[in-house]
Amino acid sequence: MNLSSSTTQGWQVIHVDGQVDSKTVTALRDYIDAELKEGLPVALDLTSVPFMSSAGLRTLLTLHRRTQEMGVDLALVGIASDIADTMKVTGFYDYFTIHPDLASLPLA
Amino acid sequence: MLLERIDSLPTDEIGGFRVRPGKPLPFGVSHIPNGLNFSIFTSAGTTCTLVLFRHGEDQPFAELPFPENYRIGDVFCMVVFGLDDEELEYGFRIDGPSDPAAGHRFDATQVLMDPYARLIAGRDTWGEEPNWQRPYPYRARVSFDDFDWEGERPLEIPPEDLVIYEAHVRAFTQSPTAEAKYPGTYAALVEKIPYLKDLGINAIELMPIFEFDEFENSRLHPDTGERLYNFWGYSTVGFFAPKAGFAATGRFGMQVDEFKQLVKSFHKAGIEVILDVVFNHTAEGNERGPTLSFKGLDNKTYYMLTPEGYYFNFSGTGNTLNCNNPIVRGLVLDCLRYWASEYHIDGFRFDLATILGRDPWGAPLSNPPLLESLAFDPILSSCKLIAEAWDAGGLYQVGTFPAFGRWGEWNGKYRDCLRRYLKGDANMVGQMAQRVQGSPDLYRPSGRSPATSVNFITCHDGFTLADLVSYNEKHNEANGEGNRDGGDDNYSWNCGAEGWTDDPGIQQLRLRQIMNAFAILLTSRGTPMLLMGDEFGRSQHGNNNAYCLDSPISWVDWTLLHSNSLLHQFVRALVHFRHAHPSLRVNLFEGPGSALLPCCSFHGPSPWNPDWSSESRQLAWMMTSDLDTDRSHVDIVYVASNMAHYATWFELPVPPHGYHWQLCFNTGDTEQPYRESPASFDQSGLLVGERSVVIFQAIPSG
Repeated sequence: MNLSSSTTQGWQVIHVDGQVDSKTVTALRDYIDAELKEGLPVALDLTSVPFMSSAGLRTLLTLHRRTQEMGVDLALVGIASDIADTMKVTGFYDYFTIHPDLASLPLA
Repeated sequence: MLLERIDSLPTDEIGGFRVRPGKPLPFGVSHIPNGLNFSIFTSAGTTCTLVLFRHGEDQPFAELPFPENYRIGDVFCMVVFGLDDEELEYGFRIDGPSDPAAGHRFDATQVLMDPYARLIAGRDTWGEEPNWQRPYPYRARVSFDDFDWEGERPLEIPPEDLVIYEAHVRAFTQSPTAEAKYPGTYAALVEKIPYLKDLGINAIELMPIFEFDEFENSRLHPDTGERLYNFWGYSTVGFFAPKAGFAATGRFGMQVDEFKQLVKSFHKAGIEVILDVVFNHTAEGNERGPTLSFKGLDNKTYYMLTPEGYYFNFSGTGNTLNCNNPIVRGLVLDCLRYWASEYHIDGFRFDLATILGRDPWGAPLSNPPLLESLAFDPILSSCKLIAEAWDAGGLYQVGTFPAFGRWGEWNGKYRDCLRRYLKGDANMVGQMAQRVQGSPDLYRPSGRSPATSVNFITCHDGFTLADLVSYNEKHNEANGEGNRDGGDDNYSWNCGAEGWTDDPGIQQLRLRQIMNAFAILLTSRGTPMLLMGDEFGRSQHGNNNAYCLDSPISWVDWTLLHSNSLLHQFVRALVHFRHAHPSLRVNLFEGPGSALLPCCSFHGPSPWNPDWSSESRQLAWMMTSDLDTDRSHVDIVYVASNMAHYATWFELPVPPHGYHWQLCFNTGDTEQPYRESPASFDQSGLLVGERSVVIFQAIPSG
């Protein structure tokens, strides 16, 4: 899994490349801990994520709770339809604002 | 700040893994800081080894023997640090005496499943043929149990206000006609919530969803070669785990979340979730069955054994769980508490529940400790507890089940009585009068109330309602047992032809009989239960025991919803009628009624004058209850049933001053059996057609 970050439309974007599961999720969490800046909305770019395991989805939800506490928005971008389907039937989907791609992020 | 706990660090090393002595409670596996706590009970086992697998791998990556100082009493417990909790599968090896005559069947070559496993892998996708050679077929995993309920909680609907709908997850949603995105799954059931809410039911009772193996005793039909399954699932592999093969996400191991999302979605729609639970036996069968868990953990504790060490078979399936052993009692209690607290389950229906009241040698106990513990448990205090009050060992306890003021019962006598009355048997009106009141003959002597009685005419076990009025005999050839399986005491009547017919007279009579059944069921006091699909005439083609059929015979055919829309609309209107009329839901045998009328009264063709004679096939009842404390408004429902083969004039009782009757349902009216907005009925009586039921409500005039 590769991780990088950028800024688009006033959003701090974290790009994830690769499968998010129990083996990689710690790296993602540590990266977010290190990179997350106060006050800026967060977009997680999942365009290059083919699969997220249960542990991966749980990390999304804990990230959601943390950004809520920080008072900033969290958006998921480019999520694969299989992953979205899994999120829907397990109840993870409704917590998030979802965008098809980075271009459709609103101006923050 | 929170200090780092001392026990978050290891003290020992076993086989390269960092460990420390664990805690005996809770049993099973639990998360502690940095590690997992494993705890397993065996009273006669001598040594124990924790066996660790990576997900999906046949061979373990580690085996960790428990040191002697990791045992407290009869419980081995250990914390292991640094494991990947998502990828892990685990089991135990227990050594001890192999002496079946003494009740011991220890076998250290077997890896045993944790009986407290909350997530089980191995049968992740329904019907996918397993690798039979696999040494450890059902594999315990670690569940997260961190679901976000967002403040949602169990609904606690009073039992007398429930209308229960019995359904099988897969049968209800598997047919292509169900048009579900993920057929046969919890997710598909969630898609059906709008339909169920519209129908008006407020509880769904799910046939077994604890992990079971659809391939248990699987075989091919001797004539057709079709594969036969353990389709219904009345044979538990894991009591704490939802069936993976019913989850669209089972292959990702996310069935726990998917099932919790199901409960949350049903609760949001105002519908309770009741589970059909099977504690009378397990999937390990008798001495010829497989060793999966209990047999190798502590056979003598978990099963009822004959003095020679063979298995008692009160369940009809090979073994009998030893429910009144204190250890097993604890397991059952822990299990139900877990489902109530972690899954927000609203109630439980206990399969062959009288087994839960037998002592370790099979004799019925007068004061069964398990039933008492469940009745008074603080966590289960608002859960419905419903007994199937009979077992395969011949113990029939409808009316005498040890209820501790708490247990409800599937009222088998209601079912049999309504079926016989419906087909026009003689000598039925007296008993029918008891049944529509909530069976005071069965429940009043022990101080119980009408809602003790779960009233039903059909359930998964037996004919569907459409088949009940279409077949005199069972037709179970598809089960591959030469039509020998299934009950013969169906009290069914085919209305003039066996099975399918194009005779419009017979078709019409059948439709009317189905409507009659619903009309009586939904105007009886107690808790009514409907079987999935009966509201639109679901048929199993005369099969009254489709336990092994994963086929269109079992699957609900949703095209019937459209072809039988009049029936569906009729049932829907009846369910809503019941919700609108508190007089039908009075939960007292001696209710106050109204100032002018008794709470429940019986009538015949002439009011206040029921005909109790043996040849009578007419019975009417009037139910009342006050709508406010000053007794100025009263709810009144009058039902007249004529099960004779000729029309009969019923003179209506005079309604109280200021009220008049409205005709709401008439099953004899083929064009308009129910009225959306009933008009005033100003005649003194009505000719009730042959085999028909009419329902009136009295409302204030002007």
